[in-house]
Amino acid sequence: MDPFEIEFIGENRIVSIIPNFSHDKIYLICGEFGPFRAGLPMNVPLWLAVMLKQKQKCRIVPPDWMDMEVLENIKEEEKRSRFFTKMPHEHYMVEAKLLLGAAAEDIPRASEVKTIIKDIWDIRMSKLRTSMDALMKSGGSYGRLDHLTMMEINSVKPLLPQAMDELHKIKMMTRTSASATLNNSTFTQSGSSQNI
Amino acid sequence: MFGEKVIELLKEAERNSDTIDLYNDEKIRQIIQEMHILFKMNMDDANATTENKSLWTTVQVRHSALERNKRCLLAYLYNRMNKIKTLRWEFGSVLPPDVRELLSDSEYEWFSKYSTNLASYMRSLGEDIGYSGIDLTENLRPPKSLYIEVLCVTDYGKLELEDGDVIMLKKNSRHYLPTEECQTLIRQGVLKQII
Amino acid sequence: MDAEDIELSDDEEEITAESVLKTLQNAWQNERLAPEILPHHNDMVECMLGQIQHMERNINKLPKTDLRSCIHKMELNRIKYIICNYLKTRLGKIEKYCIAIVNEEKQRIEAGTNYLTPSEFRYAQEYITNMESHLKNTILNHVPGNMQSFELNKMAIYPNFYCHVFLKANETINGIILEDLLGDQDEEIDIEEDSQHILQYKPIADLVKNGKVQLV
Repeated sequence: MDPFEIEFIGENRIVSIIPNFSHDKIYLICGEFGPFRAGLPMNVPLWLAVMLKQKQKCRIVPPDWMDMEVLENIKEEEKRSRFFTKMPHEHYMVEAKLLLGAAAEDIPRASEVKTIIKDIWDIRMSKLRTSMDALMKSGGSYGRLDHLTMMEINSVKPLLPQAMDELHKIKMMTRTSASATLNNSTFTQSGSSQNI
Repeated sequence: MFGEKVIELLKEAERNSDTIDLYNDEKIRQIIQEMHILFKMNMDDANATTENKSLWTTVQVRHSALERNKRCLLAYLYNRMNKIKTLRWEFGSVLPPDVRELLSDSEYEWFSKYSTNLASYMRSLGEDIGYSGIDLTENLRPPKSLYIEVLCVTDYGKLELEDGDVIMLKKNSRHYLPTEECQTLIRQGVLKQII
Repeated sequence: MDAEDIELSDDEEEITAESVLKTLQNAWQNERLAPEILPHHNDMVECMLGQIQHMERNINKLPKTDLRSCIHKMELNRIKYIICNYLKTRLGKIEKYCIAIVNEEKQRIEAGTNYLTPSEFRYAQEYITNMESHLKNTILNHVPGNMQSFELNKMAIYPNFYCHVFLKANETINGIILEDLLGDQDEEIDIEEDSQHILQYKPIADLVKNGKVQLV
C-alpha cells in the first residue's frame, strides 16, 4: 500500500479537540460526535480534527503520549530492549505527522517532540533492518513481528516479502533438481540397458 | 536468423515501459511473413522426413521458432493492451487524437469494447438500490481537503462548476477549486495541483 | 440528519452503518494485500451506497455555508474512496487473472460459493471475449494454419499463492502448517490473538476469507 493510504487509515483514530463554537451532535456514518460546546474538550476522528483546525474552529488537545517525559521513556525503553516495544498505538506516526503539521502551536515543545519521535522511529527502523537480515539468514520463510505498526510494516514492503518469495523459489528449484537427481539414479540402478 | 525480428519488436516495446509507442504494423507483417516461410519449409521437409531422418531435427527447430514467434507476438499485443487500459482510466472513453494515432485499428476497437464493458460495469454498481452507478475513475486518491489550489497549464477555456459558477481557465492562472471537480482536468494535464 | 441503522435480513440482527463501514474497510484492506481475488462483499458496498445517497440528499438541503455540510461531504468522500479503490482493486485482479478466475468461478457458481458479483462475472467473461477477438484479428487469423488457435490455458496467469504476506490475528488460531521444502519437517505454529506475522499466503488463505486474520 502507498504511505498515503496508511495515513488515510490512521486518520480514523479518535483524538481530542476543544472547539471554539457550539453545535448539536453530528451523526456521521462512522459514528456520532458531539455535542460541540465552545471551550469543552470532546472526541472526533483525526481527519475531522485536522479539518476543523484548518478552519480555525478548534484547538487540539495533545494526546497523552505526545509528551516529552513519556517519549523520553519510550525512547530509552526502545534503546534498551532487543525487541520492538509497544508503541502508544498503531498509528502513532500518522497522528504525530498530522497533528504536528497542522497544530504545532497546540502541542507543548512541538519541535522537540517531533525530533524525539523521529529518533524513536529511527531506532526502530535500524532494529527492523537487523531483524530482516537475521530472518533471511535463518532461511526466511516465517517471522513474528509483534508491536510493529502498520506504517513500519509498510516501510519494508516490497523488499522483505519479495526477498522471501525469491528464497522460496530457490528452495523449490533445489528441491526439484534434488528429486530429479534421485529419479535419475533410481533409473540407473534399475539397470536397464536402454540407450537414450 | 529465425526469431530475430520478434525480439527487436519486444525490445522496442520494453524501451518505453511507461508510455505506448506507435503500433509497429510493418514489423508484425514481416514476422508473420517469416512464420509462413518457416511453415512452408517445414511442410515440404515433413513429407521428406519419412525417408530422410536427419531432416527431423531441422523441422523441430523451425517448429520451435514458429511457436516462439507466436508467443512473442501475443506478448507484444498483451503488453500493449495493458497500456491501452490505463489510457481509458486516464483519458476516459474519448482518446486525444495524438494518442489515438498510436493504436492500430484493431487496438482501437479493443479500446472501445474495453471502455464499453467498463462503463456498463460501473453503471451496474448499486442498481439494485436505485443508485445511478459510480465512476471508478474518480476518487483515485484519499481525500485530504475539499478544496485545493491549482495552476492552469494550458488555455482551456470556461469551466462550469457544480454550483453554477463559471470560471475561466487560462494558462498560468491560479484557482481554488473543489477537489472533486478538478480531478479529471488534473489527470488530463490541464491543471496542476500546487502543493 | 441521521445515519440510519440498517437491517440485514440474513442474520435477523440489527447492524449499524458504522459496523458495516468498518467491515468494508477491512475487506478493502484484505483485497489490496491478498494475491488472489477474495469473496465479494457486495451487500456491504450496496449498504454504504445507500447511506451515501441518503446523506447526499440531506446535505443538499443544508445551506452551503453550513459547517455540517463540509464535514459530511468529507466523510462521504472518504467512504467513496474506499468503495472505488476496493472495486477497482478487484477489477484489476479480474483483468489480470481473467481466465483462471472465470474457470474457477464457474465451479464456484455451481457450488453456490461464488466470489464475484454477477456484474463482475459478466465483466470478466466479456473481457476474455474482447481479448480473444483482438488477438485473433491482429495475429492469430494471419499466422499459418495449425497455429491459429487461441490457447486459453497458455494465456492464463495465476496469482502467486506462495507469496509472503503480513497479517494480524483477530483471534487465536492453532495448528497452521508451514511447509518445509528442503526437509520433511513441516512446522506447525499457533498464532495468538493480536499477534503479527509474516508468512506465506497459502496456508492462511482461508483464514483471510473467514475473517480470522487481517492482512496488514
